[in-house]
Amino acid sequence: MRKWISGLLLGGLVTLFPLSAEAKVKVVATLPTLAAIAREVGGDAVEVTSLAGPNQDAHFVDARPNLALALNKADVLMVNGLELEAGWLPVLLTGSRNSRIQPGAAGYLDASSLVPLKQIPQQKIDRGMGDIHPGGNPHYLTDPRNGGRVAVGIAAKLASLDPANAAGFKRRANALKADAEAIASSQSKRFADLQVVERHVVTYHNSWIYFLDWLNLIAIGTIEPKPGISPDPGHVAWLLGHMRKVHADVIMQEAYYPTRIGSLLASKAQATLVVLPGGADFAGGQSYLDYVKELTDKTYAGVVKDTGR
Amino acid sequence: MNFESRHLTALGLAVGLLAAATPARAQAEAPVDGQDAADILNALTLDAPAPQASAAGPRGPQSMNPDLSFILDGALAGFSQAPDQRGGHDPAKNGFNLQQLELSVKSVVDPFWRFDANLVFSQFGVEVEEAYATSLALPSDLQLRAGQFLTRFGRLNPTHPHSWEFVDQPLVLGKFFGGEGNRGLGTELSWLSPLPWYLEVVGSATEAGGASTARSFFGAQDLGVQGPLDLQVTGAIKQFFPLSDAWSLSWGLSGATGPNSSGRANRSDLYGTDLYLKYRSVAGADPTVIGLTCEALARNRQVPGAVLSDAGGYASAFWKFDPSWAIAARYESVTGTANDPLDPEWTGTRQRASANLTYWPSEFSRIRLQGSADLRRWVSEPTYAAMLAFETVIGAHGAHAF
Repeated sequence: MRKWISGLLLGGLVTLFPLSAEAKVKVVATLPTLAAIAREVGGDAVEVTSLAGPNQDAHFVDARPNLALALNKADVLMVNGLELEAGWLPVLLTGSRNSRIQPGAAGYLDASSLVPLKQIPQQKIDRGMGDIHPGGNPHYLTDPRNGGRVAVGIAAKLASLDPANAAGFKRRANALKADAEAIASSQSKRFADLQVVERHVVTYHNSWIYFLDWLNLIAIGTIEPKPGISPDPGHVAWLLGHMRKVHADVIMQEAYYPTRIGSLLASKAQATLVVLPGGADFAGGQSYLDYVKELTDKTYAGVVKDTGR
Repeated sequence: MNFESRHLTALGLAVGLLAAATPARAQAEAPVDGQDAADILNALTLDAPAPQASAAGPRGPQSMNPDLSFILDGALAGFSQAPDQRGGHDPAKNGFNLQQLELSVKSVVDPFWRFDANLVFSQFGVEVEEAYATSLALPSDLQLRAGQFLTRFGRLNPTHPHSWEFVDQPLVLGKFFGGEGNRGLGTELSWLSPLPWYLEVVGSATEAGGASTARSFFGAQDLGVQGPLDLQVTGAIKQFFPLSDAWSLSWGLSGATGPNSSGRANRSDLYGTDLYLKYRSVAGADPTVIGLTCEALARNRQVPGAVLSDAGGYASAFWKFDPSWAIAARYESVTGTANDPLDPEWTGTRQRASANLTYWPSEFSRIRLQGSADLRRWVSEPTYAAMLAFETVIGAHGAHAF
């Protein structure tokens, strides 16, 4: 009798298991770059959605109710963290009514916990310094070595939710990490040819520190006088004088910032304005490493065009 | 359901089991049976919670304190004649006006609740504008709120002045709800439908009295609650349609019913609809934001020997044409009744047109210049007003609903 029951249960499990194994893990990432990494690591076992688009400033995303709907259906939420999404994610997360993806739940992953962070304020901070992030600079995915670390963390999170596919997650994450490290070293070799004076870079926002440190580029100023504060004439005049004095080849900015001041400074200081995507074109199918290559190629082309090499 | 890494109480387990039993939630995992549940419950009463994985990277200072922010709203105002502002935080006199100092305190309580409070300071006192708990882990896409809260009637009522496009509250909200809008002590239950678009159904029961709220109900002449019919019941359906990446449309239908101060058996019924169309580009550096809002309300109030009917609404347009600059315009019209024992000072139709210009030095401060012309049928001359309003925010910047 007992054997009969356990046989029936086992049979039931066997028939149920393929059904549930086919159910994909629903991943929602706040940023398209994070979504691109999750898609590569998850492969066919996951269904990935990005809340923000590549040309949206991740500091300011509308908390549209359809985003709460995506969060409602999610099995796992991946956030950039460090308060980058503080202006819009909390209200969506509460509205999602989904206890599985709340901070601290099994379906929540803060990717910033996976990487070594830069610019963690050591002194007392206040908003007189602009919109700075108390936990550190949140734009860490512009360095592919961090992308590799995040991929490995995503694999571990996905494995805990879907153990049947753990081996595949791990294999793809390790492959992505190896490729990311290979690109990191080949690109830093490419940039190593540059003269010191060619390494001077102006950025719009303080969002490129990981990228610049990786490629040994030197930030000489930002178009924003302080993070999140729009440029004013006095600061732009100072920056122009500074660029002329120390010579800056390239002005880098994300496509979601206005280009007026960047083009003006580029023409007056004989530099090149390089407009870069704010994130991977996830919806268009771009992979994380193709996004990183786009950043490096466009930046390098900007330097070379300016110096005529 | 990854039970090993979860802190589970008996309630959490019940919710977890319910979630595991829902087919849409099922993951590739073995099902949990009654024996498992009993073992888990048994272990939980004996064992300390499992330790959490530690973060890999270096972290900034951590704190369990709630998120705090202070928002100061003040205005310098001038009126061409005695004004009749209806919002509790409107600039209402010539000269300097402290509209409000709002202290907002927010935090997650535990895995099951979050807590939000908005305490409003005037020059001479403090009021609890909102203080409520919101559930985080109810099954079946239900959500519960309990405490003192602004009811979700219409588009503007549940919001606070710092998210408004105008310095003052629409007249119809002040006339129908009161200076503080429609709020009260009570409970709200809402449900997110499983439809492919966003459709939320909201219902709440709140106290029908209050000096500056529930004005169509008990309001300042609070007759007290003796039975469930003495509560104000509010219901709403909220829908959202993402027309494209840039265009959004939300549409709400709201209703409220409850006894009014002319007698416990006399009911007031309010109906409202609101439409919000928004454009915001998600491609490139285009700073343009366009918002078109329409909200219309109608009410019937039983008074001894009659039913009083009136209606009102507003339409507004907002255009942000630069990262730091925006203009906005609003038109309002509200009817009145000559013999209205509940609102004897408002005897006819009132129309008001306003326009403003806003400048944001940063995300955390805002300066606005607003002008308006206010035509009250029962006052011969229009009232012209000019307001220079200033707002600053410090502390954790609270997230805003759409």
